[in-house]
Amino acid sequence: MFTIPATWTRFKRWKMNALIFLSVLGPGIITANVDNDAGGIYTYSVAGARYGYSLLWTLIPITVALIVVQEMVARMGVVTGKGLADLIREEYGFRTTFVLMAVLLLTNWGNTVSEFAGLASGMSVFHVSRFISVPLGAVLVWLLVVRGTYRVVEKVFLMACFFYVSYLISGFIAHPTWKQAALGTIKPAIAFDTNYLYMIIGLVGTTIAPWMQFYLQAAVVEKGIKMKHYVQSRWDVIIGCIIVDVVAFFIIIACAATIYMSGGREINSAADAALALKPLAGNAAAALFAFGLVNASLFAASILPLATAYTVCEGLGFESGINKRPHEAPAFYSLYTGLIILGGLAVLVLRESMQVPIILFSQVANGILLPFVLIFMLRLCNREDLMGPYRNTRTFNIIAWTTCAVIMILTLLLLIRSFLPEYL
Amino acid sequence: MIYFTELENLPTHDAKGEYLGHLVDLAINPSQNSFQVAYFYVMTPKKALMCIPREQISTISVRAAQTSVPAADIRCAVPDEGLICIKKDVLDQQIIDVNDQKVVRVIDVDFDIQPNHKHTELRIVAVNVGAAAAARRLFQGLFAKHRIRTITSVLPTKTIPWEFVNLIEPDPARRVKLRISYNRLAELHPADLADILEELSRDEQRSVIESLDDETAADAVSEIPTRMQVALLNSLSAGRAADIVEEMDPDEAADVLQELPPETTAEVLANMDAEDAEEVRELLGFEENTAGGFMTTEYIVLQETATVEAAVEALKNFSGTLETVHAVYLVKQDLVLTKLVPLALLLISEKDAPLNSLVSDEAISVPFHADRKTVINMFHKYNLLTLPVVDDNDRLLGVVTADDVLELVIREK
Repeated sequence: MFTIPATWTRFKRWKMNALIFLSVLGPGIITANVDNDAGGIYTYSVAGARYGYSLLWTLIPITVALIVVQEMVARMGVVTGKGLADLIREEYGFRTTFVLMAVLLLTNWGNTVSEFAGLASGMSVFHVSRFISVPLGAVLVWLLVVRGTYRVVEKVFLMACFFYVSYLISGFIAHPTWKQAALGTIKPAIAFDTNYLYMIIGLVGTTIAPWMQFYLQAAVVEKGIKMKHYVQSRWDVIIGCIIVDVVAFFIIIACAATIYMSGGREINSAADAALALKPLAGNAAAALFAFGLVNASLFAASILPLATAYTVCEGLGFESGINKRPHEAPAFYSLYTGLIILGGLAVLVLRESMQVPIILFSQVANGILLPFVLIFMLRLCNREDLMGPYRNTRTFNIIAWTTCAVIMILTLLLLIRSFLPEYL
Repeated sequence: MIYFTELENLPTHDAKGEYLGHLVDLAINPSQNSFQVAYFYVMTPKKALMCIPREQISTISVRAAQTSVPAADIRCAVPDEGLICIKKDVLDQQIIDVNDQKVVRVIDVDFDIQPNHKHTELRIVAVNVGAAAAARRLFQGLFAKHRIRTITSVLPTKTIPWEFVNLIEPDPARRVKLRISYNRLAELHPADLADILEELSRDEQRSVIESLDDETAADAVSEIPTRMQVALLNSLSAGRAADIVEEMDPDEAADVLQELPPETTAEVLANMDAEDAEEVRELLGFEENTAGGFMTTEYIVLQETATVEAAVEALKNFSGTLETVHAVYLVKQDLVLTKLVPLALLLISEKDAPLNSLVSDEAISVPFHADRKTVINMFHKYNLLTLPVVDDNDRLLGVVTADDVLELVIREK
């Protein structure tokens, strides 16, 4: 007689866990990465270029807040098997949902414009005209989603996540002072300079957005993840949130080590940051930075319209899904196609001075929408009939409400700053 | 015709004209009459919920409702459960339209006002899912009711008669109390039923499947995407999952089981009938996306010396689905495949003719490890309905049928 060595069984169990993890992997990581879109990259670049390493510490609380919020929606998706828009419709009725969806649609159109603007400016670093890059990019993302199957689409998306590595490399090439970077990460430096505070608000605002909550929950439901595998799904969310901020970390240090150290200068777009890196860190770092921007913009330009179309159809009760044919789900395809076409057109037709108000407006609408979405989420997540034993615990509620309150106050400040600067 | 959006918040007075409160919900008691509104719920100014039975409502209009008795005489004995509340259970919920075979979300509910000698009754007519209903919900309370009627009269309406509405209730106990059955779903074509299932959330899918008989459930489950099959079977008890898998075609069953977590697969197989389980187990050994993975083990095989009569006898005793049988397969010793006899030939041949003599050509077959493309190309090139699958020694293992190939081709696109 012989027995199976304990290490072998342990290995098998480990392998099993790893397989389960890979099978639930995706929603959290993809959502989190779309979060580092053109707008996000720009904000991180400015943070590094203006304030060097001193804002790095904010990434830790931002990561925690992101995890707290995202974990709740993932949990709601697993427990209820329904999307967030579905739950809001069933709970708060048609009018609330309709208004919410209308604002979300407008916001995400603005976001899509900024993604295509990011694509255009990223490709301009490689001397490609926006009249080529934008239509090509639009057709590419449209075809991928409309003609591709769910599995192919998810694989392409996961691959796009991988390309964020380019930021890590450009961060290294920029030769940052690691000691200072480490110090900046763990030591909060709070300066009571209004611009510094706004930068912090901007960082939070760009990282936690309303559409992500809808998208993540829908993706978790779509994947059919069960309570049994929730532990793995939670890790998917946590790892995703950490990746977001690791990428953010490297973007900030790349800009801090070069642009900030050489005296600092204003950058007006993410592509500006790439160009500014060129004389300071070399062509390779600049090219990688711009490549990362193109990748991120394309990635977000396909997921944002997709997520929007899904959410709006779900909330208002239209048929949706990429496994349906266009005549079976006309509202879904019109929304998806419309967002891409109108998003792309805005970048091609409007001058840059006219794009800025659209992008600014979408950030403001984002800020108005976020508190509502967060409050709905928190209330739904506390409902016994929906969540049963998986509803928020007391401790978690304290953390979650505090987190949400802080986010809401910060977004409110951002709104006042954009609209009524004379009051601050 | 009066809409729920117009009834909601309707001021309600008693027989003396005293204000009681505003209407918040309407309840139907399906164990008595599934069309009649049985109870009216009114929220009093003091935030107490008052229930008025239908016999005590004397008039109702878009302006107000009035009871036939003074406030003190309002008596209502409500059964605590087993009521369908319009606002809570119908409005904004998903329902199945069994006539159009679709899942829709309710926007508004239409009622008929029926005067009935001493009192007035409300009868539910249809649920409303059109643009007009959406506009009514949007403007409800913002404009006067007659103005909203004018605005919405130009918009398209879409209603589903109440008799075609199937509510979805995941809780089995409540389903019984509300007398919700999915009987009418069982009469739908499995493909239509599958389309409905795809629209539902996981718990709702489970509730529908649980109430169907094994065979209907298996037919419908076979038609939904594999990812959804896996989630669904996983949420059922192993015993029930086994009952359903047993009724599925072995190749379909093997495809699903392959995707389930190994421990679940083992549990389901253990709960299955030994013979069916064996068939599926054999198929599980073959790799996905090869001829072996596509094939079914439900087919009719005979010795090449057998007669037409024996073949007809085998058909009579065949336990699988007869519709998918297009031919019988002939083998010599060790199950080595020789010929294939189309069913039509059996019909026009003498009873005692040896099957071997009916066809001259050797059967076209494919090795079990052939890939998807090869299989599709063979069907295309030779215009096949079925293609036998053999091992390296030409022994018959199973059969790929045209309907599975069609699915492969569509999936590839």
